[in-house]
Amino acid sequence: MTAVAAGERRIYFEDVVVGVPLETPGMTLTETHVNLFGGLIDARPQDPRAVPDLLPLCLSSGLGWRVPQPPLVVLAFMGFEWRFLLPARVGDTIRSVSTTVAKRPMKDGGVLIEERNILNQRGEIVQSGKLTLLVARRPAA
Amino acid sequence: MGAQTGPYFEDIRVGEEYTSPGRTVTEADIVIFAGLSGDYNVLHTDAEHMKASTFGERIAHGLLGLAIQQGLLGRVMPPSGAEQLGALKWKFKGPIKIGDTIHVRARVAAKKDGEKPEWGLVTIERRVLNQRGEVVQEGETEHRLERRSGAARA
Repeated sequence: MTAVAAGERRIYFEDVVVGVPLETPGMTLTETHVNLFGGLIDARPQDPRAVPDLLPLCLSSGLGWRVPQPPLVVLAFMGFEWRFLLPARVGDTIRSVSTTVAKRPMKDGGVLIEERNILNQRGEIVQSGKLTLLVARRPAA
Repeated sequence: MGAQTGPYFEDIRVGEEYTSPGRTVTEADIVIFAGLSGDYNVLHTDAEHMKASTFGERIAHGLLGLAIQQGLLGRVMPPSGAEQLGALKWKFKGPIKIGDTIHVRARVAAKKDGEKPEWGLVTIERRVLNQRGEVVQEGETEHRLERRSGAARA
């Protein structure tokens, strides 16, 4: 079930190094993001320049695939704890910095605890938390 | 939709419960969320790959389910311009598959003082259920709500 396309390099549980921060590229938040997100979830802020609280979090998951290393083979997102520290506004540019802080091998794969901070263009932490991910072990050769 | 109309911290009572309407999660929802978020993990985008997985098919992004329940709950809970998410604890307990119909059940679990006197903190427990009554996501959110006294000038 963990087979990946031939030739594609992947990071498995065994490859993950604890304590190394990975920083994503930035993403400028636009009214288009806010409108698409508002239409998708059926919630639009009264202030069109206000960014819904969950939007930076959702964007950080995509940004996480753009760090300078092959993608991690994630089998399931198990849960997370999150704090919303500062509001984001249209025009802000966010980026995300993630660090694996713990690894725990399981029977089918392994669990990673990832600490993630979403920063704005001034380097302020906008949102922050810890995610629990189930990732694949390297398949036997 | 004018300025702040409540609810204020004083208006929320511990034990209040809300049940949202249902929403059927479609392939289009998943495709749009992948495009918007940039999360193209095969879990959500590769039907052939997922045939061989434990899920047997593509599943919705966990964060898509979280975002949809936020919108669903907003349709039954009173709107509040002052309401802000402060914190969240969340568990993804089972997959949301294309065609599943989910709804949210929420309960006001606690109220306490905030870090500033003009705000209070409200904790809401939420469960996301599918059409079979299975809990697919659950957790709690903490919100900062303005106190009525602090909004006297509004």
